[in-house]
Amino acid sequence: MAGTGKAHLRSGDALLRVEDLVVEFPVGRTGLKVNAVSGISFDVMRGETLGIVGESGCGKSTTGRGIMQLPSPNSGAVVFNGQDLSQLTGSDMREARTKIQMIFQDPISSLNPRRKVRDIVKEPLDIWKRGTSAEQDARVDKVLEDVGIDPQRAAESQPHQFSGGQCQRISIARSLVLDPSLIICDEPVSALDVSVQAQVLNLLEDLKAAYGLTMIFIAHDLAVVKNISDRVAVMYLGKLCEVATSDDLYRRPAHHYTKVLLDSIPVPDPSRPVAHGRIEGEPPSPVLPPTGCRFHTRCPAASDRCRNEEPQMRDVGDNHFVACHHPAWGGDAPVSITR
Amino acid sequence: MSAITKKRDWPTVLAAAWLIGLTILAFTADYLPFIRGYAESSPEGIGFSKGPFTSFLLGSDQLGRDVFARCIYGAQISLRIALFSIIIGTVVGGTLGMVAGFFGKASDRAISAFTDVMLAFPPIVIAILVTGRFDALRKNSEAFSWLSRTWSITFVLSILAIAPLARIVRAQTLSISQREFVLAARSLGARNGRVLVREILPNLVPAMVSVIFTGVAVLLIAEGGLAFLGYSIELPTPTWGRLIAENRNFIREAWWGTIMPCVMLFATVLSFNVLGDRIARRFDIREAAL
Repeated sequence: MAGTGKAHLRSGDALLRVEDLVVEFPVGRTGLKVNAVSGISFDVMRGETLGIVGESGCGKSTTGRGIMQLPSPNSGAVVFNGQDLSQLTGSDMREARTKIQMIFQDPISSLNPRRKVRDIVKEPLDIWKRGTSAEQDARVDKVLEDVGIDPQRAAESQPHQFSGGQCQRISIARSLVLDPSLIICDEPVSALDVSVQAQVLNLLEDLKAAYGLTMIFIAHDLAVVKNISDRVAVMYLGKLCEVATSDDLYRRPAHHYTKVLLDSIPVPDPSRPVAHGRIEGEPPSPVLPPTGCRFHTRCPAASDRCRNEEPQMRDVGDNHFVACHHPAWGGDAPVSITR
Repeated sequence: MSAITKKRDWPTVLAAAWLIGLTILAFTADYLPFIRGYAESSPEGIGFSKGPFTSFLLGSDQLGRDVFARCIYGAQISLRIALFSIIIGTVVGGTLGMVAGFFGKASDRAISAFTDVMLAFPPIVIAILVTGRFDALRKNSEAFSWLSRTWSITFVLSILAIAPLARIVRAQTLSISQREFVLAARSLGARNGRVLVREILPNLVPAMVSVIFTGVAVLLIAEGGLAFLGYSIELPTPTWGRLIAENRNFIREAWWGTIMPCVMLFATVLSFNVLGDRIARRFDIREAAL
């Protein structure tokens, strides 16, 4: 599991196509590196929502930032609207980036505490000098109203005078002002109360329809991802494990990691027995990742093959793709002679 | 009267009043009739013969000069030196710190090495060396004739202020530039300059204000130390440090000559500290949220 390969990429009009994305960070001056993202590929069709799930530290957020080229990935192609972002530099890069926007996890940290909320939302228009002052104001008012923030109040308040949920709405407004086509939501609701989470998720759904957005939704909360995503990709230690439509993935996970992940969703019923198939231990260090399949150290079905050979993404039927030698269903991967 | 009448913050009020009053006195001293000239000597005061609260408000010194007048003129010089050097130090040190913290890599290594070296040198040695060099420069070169001792001491103190300020600003910039609103600004297409000025600089201000105010206090004392060692501006212009130094041998016969400028220095340093502390707290819009 946790393999490479591009079998799951679709032909056709993808808004975003990421191929073999690699992001590494040096560890001080030791010469070692953190393999945050190690060659993942995926695509997002126009109007689709792709969910990316995985535990903390598996490289979800780094993937999102790698798409934005903040920081630039070490290798791999990020083709957005037919344009490879990793080849752009300087002002072309800045211009292209405006079509992709991010919403961050911490609603308070993502807003500059010393500026008025309205100025924060207006900032993108100011950077790009879009339209006249009156047009800018009209745009800001409209977007603020769309996310449910009173423009009057926004003009005179700073971020700390708003609640967490409201701050997240303000972040969303800022990301929408430039009329982007892709929004990368990096755990947008994990810092919020459950009741507020639902409001923000509904808002995102509404805005997606109203603004014709395509979304990448990064989260560790599987229930949240299930509802909002069309397609879900599961990550483990910088690699993709499994890609499938949301319903299919939740109904019959093929990857052992996905299975364990789904089993670990807590059920609010004390009489229900604890789910089976829990795994022990911590994920291995991304500085020295395991050979072969990166999940083999914790996998219940690991074999010698898993320790030596990295599994490739393959179709196990019905657009369900898994990178595993011995998936829960769909049969073992054929042994390739060349490897 | 409601129960929640605002309680007056006396330390702040006193500190502000002291600083404002002292500044006004110091810079209008030439025009105020009740302040004598700093070099004006009166026969009746010669040999510390007048104590405080006589016809000499804070007593007279060896040469019959008024200690009060000399303290006020001393304040003029001391405050000017401290203020100018903190301004130069903040601008230079702040810029270095922001560059090091924001751009990192080679610039950070170079600037950090520089600040480490500066901080490792004993400040007094640097000060003495540099004032000596400036003196030679003024004597030997027409182009540096403007470089009076007042300016050379200002420059020396600003050089000493650069390293600690650069270090604090670098650390702050590092932590602020990791915050998500900086990433957000980048993703909106903001250039580095805009990110620095609009996103990072405003968030540096609160920390800087308190550092600047305490810095002024430290520099006032440093100027006193230099004057005490004889590296002060040309005679007979007084500074607090010189007043303390030149009258200290007579402290047993005439305590006011040394103690009065000490009290002035003490009150001023304390006031700057109190105000800096208070302003920092005023700026603190829910620091936890930052």
